[in-house]
Parts: sequence; C-alpha cells; structure tokens
Amino acid sequence: MSIPFAHMLFLATLLFVMGAVCAMTRRNLIMILIGVEIMLNASGIAFVAGSMRWQEFQGQVMTLFVMTAAAAEIAVALALIVCVQRRTGSINANRYNLLKG
Amino acid sequence: MNTVLFLLLAFPLTGALILALTGRFLSQRAVQTVACASVIAAFILALTAFLLSGHSAQTVNLGLWFAAGSFHVDIDLYYDSLSALMTLIVTFVSSLVHIYSTAYMRAEGDNVRYFCFLNLFVFAMLVIATAGNLVFIYLGWEIVGLCSYSLIGFWYSKPGTADAGRKAFIATRLADVAFGTAIALCWTDLNQLSVAGINDGASSLSSGTAAMIGFLLLFAAIGKSAQLPLSIWLPDAMAGPTPVSALIHAATMVTAGVYLLMRFFPVIQCSQTVLLAISLVGVMTVCFGAFSALVQRDIKRILAYSTISQVGYMFLALGAQDLAGSMFHLITHAFFKALLFLGAGCIIKALHEEHDIFRMSGLRKRLPLMFWLFMAGTLSLGAFPLTGGFFSKDRILLSVFLQPDIHFRILWVIASIAAMITPLYAFRMFFVIFYGKPEADSNKNAPIQDLMTITLWPLAILSIFAGFINFPLNWGGSLWLDGFLQTIPGAAAETHPSSQLEWTMQAGFALMTLTMVILAWVLYSREQESDELSGTPMTEAFQRFFLNGFYLDHFYQERIVIPYRNLSVFLWKKVDEGLIDDGLDRKAVFFMKLAERLRLWTTGQISDYVSFLVAGFVMILGCLTALWWFK
Repeated sequence: MSIPFAHMLFLATLLFVMGAVCAMTRRNLIMILIGVEIMLNASGIAFVAGSMRWQEFQGQVMTLFVMTAAAAEIAVALALIVCVQRRTGSINANRYNLLKG
Repeated sequence: MNTVLFLLLAFPLTGALILALTGRFLSQRAVQTVACASVIAAFILALTAFLLSGHSAQTVNLGLWFAAGSFHVDIDLYYDSLSALMTLIVTFVSSLVHIYSTAYMRAEGDNVRYFCFLNLFVFAMLVIATAGNLVFIYLGWEIVGLCSYSLIGFWYSKPGTADAGRKAFIATRLADVAFGTAIALCWTDLNQLSVAGINDGASSLSSGTAAMIGFLLLFAAIGKSAQLPLSIWLPDAMAGPTPVSALIHAATMVTAGVYLLMRFFPVIQCSQTVLLAISLVGVMTVCFGAFSALVQRDIKRILAYSTISQVGYMFLALGAQDLAGSMFHLITHAFFKALLFLGAGCIIKALHEEHDIFRMSGLRKRLPLMFWLFMAGTLSLGAFPLTGGFFSKDRILLSVFLQPDIHFRILWVIASIAAMITPLYAFRMFFVIFYGKPEADSNKNAPIQDLMTITLWPLAILSIFAGFINFPLNWGGSLWLDGFLQTIPGAAAETHPSSQLEWTMQAGFALMTLTMVILAWVLYSREQESDELSGTPMTEAFQRFFLNGFYLDHFYQERIVIPYRNLSVFLWKKVDEGLIDDGLDRKAVFFMKLAERLRLWTTGQISDYVSFLVAGFVMILGCLTALWWFK
C-alpha cells in the first residue's frame, strides 16, 4: 500500500472539518446540505481507511450503509427544501426561526 | 340477664338515634316523651339487673367490634356490684333530670338537640359503667366528652358559652391522651384489654409499669373529674342549661374519673406512690374547691366549686384504699348535688335568670317549698350530723386517719380543715339566699312548674337518708355497702376501728360542723348588699384570690396559652413564612433568572444549533482524547 494510513485519516478529518464549517456558516439550505454530505463522505473515507489498515471488510460495508443513508437523506432533505421554499419563498436558513424560545 | 344488660344500653342509644334521625318531625311533647321513656326504661332495667345479679361478676359478649391481627376488641360488658351501683345512680339521677328538663326546657327552643345529647350522654355513661374492655370504656369516655361539649355550649349564641364548651372539651381531651397511653401500655405489657384480665394480671406487672399505668389513669381521671390541675373547665361549664349542670356534676361526667380509678383499683394498689399521689391530688382539690366556693357570688359557681371539692374527697378515699367509702360519698354526692343544682335551676327560673346570691335575699317567704328542699341538699352537702353527707364524709376522714402511713395524718389534718369550710360555704349560700330582707318586688317571681319540684322530692329524701346504705357499726348499722362491694377486686375489708374512736371522730366532726353552721348564721343571715366579710386589704386580696379560683385560669393563660400563641406566631411568621415560604420564593426567582439567560441560547437559527452540536461533539471528543492521553 503506497498511501499511509495517517494521510488518509488526515484527509478524512480535513474533509469532515470543512464540511462541518460549511454546514455551520452557510445560510443557504442547499449549501448546508452539501456540507453535511461532505461530512458523511469524510466519515466514509475514514471507514475505508480503517478497513484497509486492518484488512477487515466491515469498514467497507459500513461505507455502503453510509452511502445508502446519505442517498435517502438527500432525497428527503431536498423534498423538504422544495416544500419550505414553496411555503416561504426562500431557502435562507435564517428565515426559519419558528423554534426560537 | 344478658338481655337486660343489652337493653340497658340499647334504650338510651335508641332514644338518641330516634331523636337524631326523626326528631325534627316530632312535636315537642313527643320528643320529650321519647327521651324520658328511654331513660326511665333504662332505670327500670338497671334496677332489674341490680336485683337479678348475684355477688359474682358477669360478662356478656355482644359480638366482635373490630380485629387486627391478634388485637381484637369485643363489645363486651362486665357487670359486677360496682357497675350495678353506678348504673343505678346514673339512670336514677338522669331519669329525674330528664323529667325536670321537660319542664325546664319547655319554653326554650331546640328540644330535639338537647334531649338527643342528653340521651346519648346517659348511654355513654352506661358504657363507661358496664364496658368490659378498655377500648369500649374509651368509646364511652369520648362520647361523654362530646356530649358535655355540646351541652355546655347548648346556647351557643350567648357570648362565652361556646368558649366554655370548648374549654371543657380541650381540658378533658388533655386527659384522654393519658387514657389512650394507658390502654396502649396495658396492651403491650399485659397483652390484655379486658377489665377482669387487667385486674387479674396487675400483680404480675413490674412496679415501674404499674406505677406508670396508675399515673396515666390518675391523669385521665383528673381531667374528667375536674381535679387540680385540670379543674378549670368545671366552673365555666355553668354556661350550659342548669339540668345539664346537674347531670354532669352529680351523676355522670365528674364521677366517671373516680369510677375509672375504682374499676382498675388493683392496678392502682400496686404502687404506693400512685396511691399517695391520688390522695394528694384529692386533698389539694378539696381545699382549692372549698376556699374558692367560699367567696363566689354566682350560685352555680358555688355549686361547681363545691363539686370539685367533693370529688376531691372521693379521690382522697381512693388514695386511702377505701373503695367503698369513695363509692359511698359518690352516691350521697350524686343525690345532694343533683338536688342542689335542680333546686338552683328552680330558683334561677323563678327569679328571671338571676344568678347572684346577694340579689336573691329573703326567699324563705317567697319560695317556701324551695326553702325546705334546698335545706335538705345544703344539710347533706354541709355534712350536717345524721344526713347522708355526714356519714360518707366522716367515713372518708376515718379511713384516711386509719392509714398507717405518716403522710396520711398530714392529709387528714388538711382534709379536716377543708371539711370545716364545707358547711361554712354551704350555709353561707343557703342563708344569703333564703334569709335577709326580701326584695320589694317580691311578687314578681315567675311560677315554678310543679313537675320541676316533684323531681326534687326523691332526691331530697335520699340526700338526708342515704347514710342508711352504709350505716356505721357503732350506730348498730351493718355497713351494707361495704358488704356489697366486697367482691370488687381490691376492696378488701378494712380494719374496723374501735367503736370508741368512731364515736370520738363523729362527735368531733359533728361539733365542728355545728360550729361552722352557727358561724355562717352569724356572718350571713343578716341582710346585706354584698359580701362584706372583708375589711382590710389583706383579706380583700385573699378574697379576690379565691374568687378567681386561685388565679388558675390566669396562670394557664399567662404560662401556657400566651407562650404557646407566641410560639405559634413565631413559627408562622418567622419559620413558615420567613424561612420556608421565602426560601422557596427565592429559589424560584433564582431559577427564573437562570432560565432568562438560558433562553437566549435558543435563537431559532438552524446554523446556530448545528454549531452547538458540533461544539458539543468536539468537547466530547476532546474529553475522550484527554482521557486517552493521560491514561
């Protein structure tokens, strides 16, 4: 194996942090969704890396699960975004503050 | 016999129930008839039971009352010669009081309530007299307390009347606590609640427990019998209708305490200390009552204090282990005190609710019949030679004198001095009421109904001649009462004194009484506006002291009621409102302020929530890392 394990973990962490920062700072719902996707895929990379490192296949199976869950999540989330966009005419997350205490 | 005893209790209870449930639909005459009939029937049954009973005690079990595990209480009756006498006296006096009440209460409203409680009172008293176990006695004991409360406060709209009822209730309730404790002690230490069982097991008790039970019973008796230091309720109980006073003071309530001590006499006899305490309470109360009665102006208060004093003699006799003597005085006292109270009721009615004896002078001409009847009662109360009261009181003093213990000699001296005061206050009352100058408006007195005076005759005859039930040996008597009560546990035949000693005592006692009667005549038979006995400030101070009942009420007010109220106010204002309420308020305010701050976190912005989520996640990871690092 030419790529060291640490490098792969570093890439996964970097992607995860970037995804998290994206999800936290952006106000556009689509961009938040993309951030979440990046975080999910970062975790997928970490699983695959672990799988390679210990020569176990569970990590790869877990990645498949994560991808499936992500696909389902995207479908639901996009449907929700379409719904709220119709209702409020905006996809700015700051407009949705009905949960304010 | 079982049926007779069952019916004896059932009649007054049924009377009370009928009046309570259907009384409002009955006419006044019907109400009075039901009440009187049930009590007179009870008297006839008591008489039947008395004649049927042998000397041995009988127990009747009427069924189970309640049970919890091994603790079960029956409704059972225990009928011995003591209960035979007590039921007879109770039913006899209450029958007369009921008949008297029909006339007395005719003009008053609310006859149903009055007669219902009167019947219930008789029932409760019969329960105390015949109950076979402690819990059943306690039931009667409590009903007596309830009835006395509602009868004393019968005219509750009059100022102070309801307070008097409450006072009687609270004072006797204090004693009930002691009674309850005594029951618990009997159960834990003897595993017995029946009267016979406790008396049989008394000898197996350890001396400490026996003394404890004895003292608790004594305290219970003190409350009901209005002895020192719980005597305060009785003078105030005069707020009730006069027949009620007669019933409470003569036949029932105040003798319940004495009767309780008689019932458990073997337990009391176990401890010499308890016996001494009983006689000490008795003697102190005798003096207290006698001196207080000496200066009262209200006729009913004089009689109330004299009751306190006379019941004290019964206690003294019990302390001197003379059960028969105590019972003897109980019987004579029941007769003459009922007579005096009912007579006082007649006089008060005739004079339009006048209670002050110094405004009654010269009634001898106006109420000649009352003069003779009242004289019979006064003679017996004042222990005038050859009356019932003379023999019973002489008997008690003799018993105390015969006690070998040196303490009893001292008690005997004090009791004898108090016995000198008794004729003085009795005849002071009598002379002031009936002699002196008649009032100018002497024809204004209201008529006394015949029914009221008729009931006084049997009482008058019995007060004079009651001595015959226990005629002393030196008079050729047979001491019938002593013989009758011989089977009661603890009533051992006392050592009979020499007849010479008896003659000496009686002669001295008679001489003393006569002197006091003459003194009372000299002091009080002249016409006078008010009690002009005093001249110097010293005697006036004494007079005020006695008039207020030794300031006992004042003492309780100052030392117990006011400190208690201050404590309550302190607990209310400072502890409850200050500490607990205020503490909770402050805590609530603190959390409210905290919540105000925390509220700011819920911005409603999804991105903020995501940030918090990530921050929390990072913190958890950080903690885990730190743990792993430093492990």
